[in-house]
Amino acid sequence: MMPASGKGVASVGKKAREPSKRGWAFAAAALVVVVVLELGLERMIPDSSIRQLLMLAACNVLVALSLNVINGMAGQFSIGHAGFVGLGAYTSAVVSAHLHEAMGGGEVTFAKSFVVVPIALLASAVVAGTFGYLVGLPSLRLKGDYLAIVTLGFAEIFRLLIATAQLGEKETIGEAAAKIGKDGVVGPFFHMLQVGITSLGGQNGYAGPKNQGLPLYAGPFWVFGLALVLGVLAYRLKFSGWGRALRALREDEIAAAAVGVDPTRYKVRSFVIAAVGAGIAGGLMAMNRDGTPTVQPDNYNFQASFDAITMVILGGSGSVTGAAIGGVLITFTVKAIEAVQSTRVVQDLKSSVPWLDLNALRMMLYAAVLIALMIWRPEGLLGERELFQKQKLRPLKLPKPSPDHPKPDEPDRAPAAAANEPAKPVVAAADEPAKSDGDEPEKGAPP
Amino acid sequence: MRVNHPTRAKAVLPEGAPLLEIADVRVSYGGIKALKGISMKVMAGEVVAIIGANGAGKTTTLKMLARLLPVDSGTVRFRGEDVRDVPTEEIVARGMSLVPEGRAIFPNLTVRENLELGAYLHRDKVTMAETMADVVELFPRLGERMVQEGGTLSGGEQQMLAIGRAMMARPELLLLDEPSLGIAPKLAAQIFKAIRTIAKSGVTVVVVEQNTRMALGSSERAYVLRTGEVALEGVSAVLAEDPEIQKAYLGG
Repeated sequence: MMPASGKGVASVGKKAREPSKRGWAFAAAALVVVVVLELGLERMIPDSSIRQLLMLAACNVLVALSLNVINGMAGQFSIGHAGFVGLGAYTSAVVSAHLHEAMGGGEVTFAKSFVVVPIALLASAVVAGTFGYLVGLPSLRLKGDYLAIVTLGFAEIFRLLIATAQLGEKETIGEAAAKIGKDGVVGPFFHMLQVGITSLGGQNGYAGPKNQGLPLYAGPFWVFGLALVLGVLAYRLKFSGWGRALRALREDEIAAAAVGVDPTRYKVRSFVIAAVGAGIAGGLMAMNRDGTPTVQPDNYNFQASFDAITMVILGGSGSVTGAAIGGVLITFTVKAIEAVQSTRVVQDLKSSVPWLDLNALRMMLYAAVLIALMIWRPEGLLGERELFQKQKLRPLKLPKPSPDHPKPDEPDRAPAAAANEPAKPVVAAADEPAKSDGDEPEKGAPP
Repeated sequence: MRVNHPTRAKAVLPEGAPLLEIADVRVSYGGIKALKGISMKVMAGEVVAIIGANGAGKTTTLKMLARLLPVDSGTVRFRGEDVRDVPTEEIVARGMSLVPEGRAIFPNLTVRENLELGAYLHRDKVTMAETMADVVELFPRLGERMVQEGGTLSGGEQQMLAIGRAMMARPELLLLDEPSLGIAPKLAAQIFKAIRTIAKSGVTVVVVEQNTRMALGSSERAYVLRTGEVALEGVSAVLAEDPEIQKAYLGG
């Protein structure tokens, strides 16, 4: 066949992906905003519970964004996301508390947060990511729902290990570690693990090595800033070659393998990315400036995993902006339900009907919302689309057929000539029903 | 159609050595033996058809070649190298691309995205653009439908997309699984014409097909599979005249 003309070829593969001036302006504006929020949020919003809610919403956005990578983009069902959030929270709590001590304690300042927060979050990311790999590798090799089962088990094991630790160990973890090798290896190793887990405070929660409360270093700068940065990253990930391969894998695993995408590697990597994101979100929750100075195992129970799934499904599975919207909506809904529960009427009702379980109210509301969603908008608020989505549909500029190179073996010429007309609007082409040569367009195809 | 990817040297084979050679290959699903020791040779530049009834092992053979199914025993050599235990993505990189059965395209990705994924293993943009121009030249309809989602295409167009996607990797050997399945005869003829064009440009083709007449008409040699074994093999034109074949597969 004849070689295509150079001009047409060049325009086919061109992509405008370079960081634009607009991008830099956006980044600078975002930086100013988060610094202003860091320094002035207290004055802007004097009510600390509202500040806490806003920061929690940003953390939940991160939870939803990360879960969206594995549940939405990769199409693998993880139902133990809170386990990784909790792992990140505990890791950041331990690391930041010890760093704080090591730096001489004292005031929690914005300046010091530039040391503590990056180190603590990095630790959270590494720990959560490592566990993500260990959990994901065996379960993602298999087809089917193994990931759901394994993640659920992982999250519950994590939570129960901490919650049920028997308090009252007198040893420190260093002393326990020193015994390894002296009186055997395996026994003392598990003893050390036990001492370590016990030092996390059991059901009461972890409040630093001396039980005096965690230093809360993550102010609005970190919380909102990271939510923004990681949100942009997730968005870019979705539209990168990597994200496209992931979507291909979700749609047809055999076809994806046939073009050279290694299914297991992609799934495991996306699961690790999800775990790392969850770890960072958990770390920010633990260090949230307006949060409580403890981390508690019950914050990371199945309910929390379920909330995360609801965020993703509500916003639209696979949509990055959808996950962010879902994260905000669910955070506010949970808060609103809590507010309703503390009203006089509901309290009176509770005292007159003692068997009434108020937590059931929340679950019922959720279930109702989800059922309604499944009926009227099964793909979630946004489906797989994005807010502010740039034109995803780039038209193809074909090389012009030159008249001195006739192509006798071309199946049909007329449509090819039509496609070469540059004036042909893209949208019209997309809306046009497929011309049929006797065979019908596929049934069940999206409109 | 420009063939063979610039990053991959064309196979240098000794005189008379086949591009693809499988010997005594056995494959089973659980306890069921799907291939009971089949042997085949495909020379570079040939178009070879694999025909046979349902369940004869045609699709299994292709899936086995694309390394989507494990081999129990036997040897598989491609470009003179043992590829029995090479993973799928590596086999694609080495120049063997499969068009899976049933038009396995990515329905929610646009036609362009589908094609770009075909070049997934080598993302050199210039080569990708050239190859895409070639694919569009081969299937002008895909050029018109570039921005549509794959799932909105008609069946025949989806098959064109699946073939185009496989060609984006610029394979040396193209494996086609039932390209005419469920497609209107007119479009099927077009697709077979395109397959001949691909073959003429130097790509070796192995096509599995239930439409025996079409398969024998557009291939040079053919293997007839029957319950996991090679029942007959030979020059397609000769097989088409074989009374047994005519009786069993050509309705004559």
